[in-house]
Amino acid sequence: MKRQVPLVLCFVFGIVMIFTQFSPHSFSQGIYEEVISWALIIGPFALVLATVTLIQTHTARIRRRTEHWQYSFVVFAGLIIMVLIGIPFKPQNSVFEWLYNNVQLPMDATMFSLLAFFIASAAYRAFRARTFEASLLLITALIVMMGNVPVGDLLSNDTASKARQWILDNPNLSARRGIILGVSLGVISQSIRIILGIERSYLGGGD
Amino acid sequence: MDRRIVFILVALAVIIPMLLSINLPVSVSEPTQKFYDYVESLPAGSTIMVAFDYGPSSLAELNPMAKALLKQCFDKDIRVIAITLVVDAPTLASALIQEVAAEKGAVDGEDYVFLGFRPGAVQVILGMGTDIASVYDTDYNGTAISEIPMMQDITNYDQIDLLVDFASSDTVESWIIYANVQYNQKIAAGVTGVIIAQMFPYLQTEQLVGLLSGILGAAEYENLVGAPDKGMQWINVESFVHLLIVGLVIIGNITYFIMRREE
Repeated sequence: MKRQVPLVLCFVFGIVMIFTQFSPHSFSQGIYEEVISWALIIGPFALVLATVTLIQTHTARIRRRTEHWQYSFVVFAGLIIMVLIGIPFKPQNSVFEWLYNNVQLPMDATMFSLLAFFIASAAYRAFRARTFEASLLLITALIVMMGNVPVGDLLSNDTASKARQWILDNPNLSARRGIILGVSLGVISQSIRIILGIERSYLGGGD
Repeated sequence: MDRRIVFILVALAVIIPMLLSINLPVSVSEPTQKFYDYVESLPAGSTIMVAFDYGPSSLAELNPMAKALLKQCFDKDIRVIAITLVVDAPTLASALIQEVAAEKGAVDGEDYVFLGFRPGAVQVILGMGTDIASVYDTDYNGTAISEIPMMQDITNYDQIDLLVDFASSDTVESWIIYANVQYNQKIAAGVTGVIIAQMFPYLQTEQLVGLLSGILGAAEYENLVGAPDKGMQWINVESFVHLLIVGLVIIGNITYFIMRREE
């Protein structure tokens, strides 16, 4: 029963929602709008689930004393402080905004900024013209990099940005379109498998 | 070369141009020009929905372009409905809107409204296609949608002339799939440099009416709007970092070939 009910629900809603896309009838569209409003209610449960999973994961880390388990206390401190301020006083509260602007924002920005240092170091060490393919990739990357900044145009008399645009508009676009078509076909086949109950991993248990 | 030397060189390539405040000329690319032209073609009283779908880590790239667009909208009397699908964006989006609104004299509830965040990105996009009030019953400050003057004649995407997604992840594709394909909503996007390559198929099919690419897109847009700001400043800094990386890659390859020949 625990497996049959979700499978039946998935099949019924899958078929009904596909049907609503092909029928402009008011009854069909009424069903579509109703189900969308249900989905809006279900959405927030994902946040609850994520919070519960975060708490479980870090509780387990502390209990098992895994590597760097002390940092899990920092996670709990951040979570508790922001929830205690955010829920009763709303995110517009000055303390909440201060913590956001002076703790979260600089930390997030710092983490992302560090990438520039690692990318520069990695590019110097790993970007080698070892083979024909690697050379092609290297030359393309250098053109796109120079075309992406004004100094590239200044040094190449506007050629760098034009070359960059051609690369993005042609080889890049062709490759991306191929990927999109492949992914789309995969999504369609996977959706059919889920609706028909062939793919059941979303129920848990892995079968 | 020791990686610490590379780190120091990168730091110097960022700090020195900032101190010298170098101004390199910025030309405008076609996707940016299309974006600007579309907004310019909208008459006064039109409505643009702006989605701030990025967190603090992408603020440096996306805030300047969002700021330039807001300035253009308020100058042209285009009404702005701001939302976000990202949980940690409301505070930064609210601060930016208030800053530009104060500068341009825009009035909350009449010229713009910030609706804040609702969980479930796809459900939010689809839900607004039917009725925005069914997703956002209040704005970010808790005012009921029914009491906001500019929302009186806005029900769903039918009254939105353009949707602009400022994004650091795959939300642009969600907007295209569920708002453009499903509801024929016109969409433009401003994205971080790392995801720009995946946007070009949508630009070619005109599912995106325009596209801003990272800090370069921000600088180009500031140039078009005639309000040079952080985008123009940072693209000059980025120029020197790119030059440094290109130089390092060339030095690395010369060293590699010399060593291979010696072997």
